[in-house]
Amino acid sequence: MSHTAPLRLSSTESDVESEVSVITERPWNVIVWNDPVTPMTVVVVVFRRIFGYSNNKCTHLMLTVHHEGRAIVWSGKRERAESYCVKLQVAGLHSSVEQDA
Amino acid sequence: MSAKLFVRRRDGRIEIRLNEAGRDVLREVFVRVVAAERDPEHEWHLSLNAPINPSNDDDDPLSTLARQNEIATNAELSVMTLKEQFLNDAEAWAWLSTLQVALRSTSVANGLLSDEKLAAAPPELINEIQTIQQFLFDLAACF
Repeated sequence: MSHTAPLRLSSTESDVESEVSVITERPWNVIVWNDPVTPMTVVVVVFRRIFGYSNNKCTHLMLTVHHEGRAIVWSGKRERAESYCVKLQVAGLHSSVEQDA
Repeated sequence: MSAKLFVRRRDGRIEIRLNEAGRDVLREVFVRVVAAERDPEHEWHLSLNAPINPSNDDDDPLSTLARQNEIATNAELSVMTLKEQFLNDAEAWAWLSTLQVALRSTSVANGLLSDEKLAAAPPELINEIQTIQQFLFDLAACF
């Protein structure tokens, strides 16, 4: 019977570090804010074009913005969140990013 | 006014069904966005440069630069294609984005940030907003 050494005896320092970073790295949210002038159809079209979401999802998000004043339209890494935020602003929507609470 | 101002054709192009007066209105709007992006003193400049991350005073200069370039490019492309009879998809998207930027800038520059404020706005301003909205309704229907 051959003896196989255990692959891992204990957690290393880097394991601990990566676990900590997973815990502390909260996602960044892209927020779209309501305004009184933007047509609903434009909001749906912009969401579909920028995120590639289905028509139903875009409509749901648009209605959330309309009724609640804001909606989280995407969550994830900060760089991508800022990139999406820029695209939304270039398309004329009021948007911002914030880290998940 | 029931006829559509923009129609998506079977070949994918978007036909512009505007007379000269309609194109003049659009020219005024597009040129204004170009000017606002270039002139820091322009009344629309602030609304074109809202912070990306409001909790960060320094904001990301690269993201800000990307946005400024893209807004200017969209508006410039819109001005350049004003006399066309047909738009391709990218050109039509530039028109839609520029119109929407103009609409929101008009609203922000005049403090129309709620339904109540909008309802109390002067008739000329309401008319200006509704004109841009009409263009947007018809153009958005093509996407």
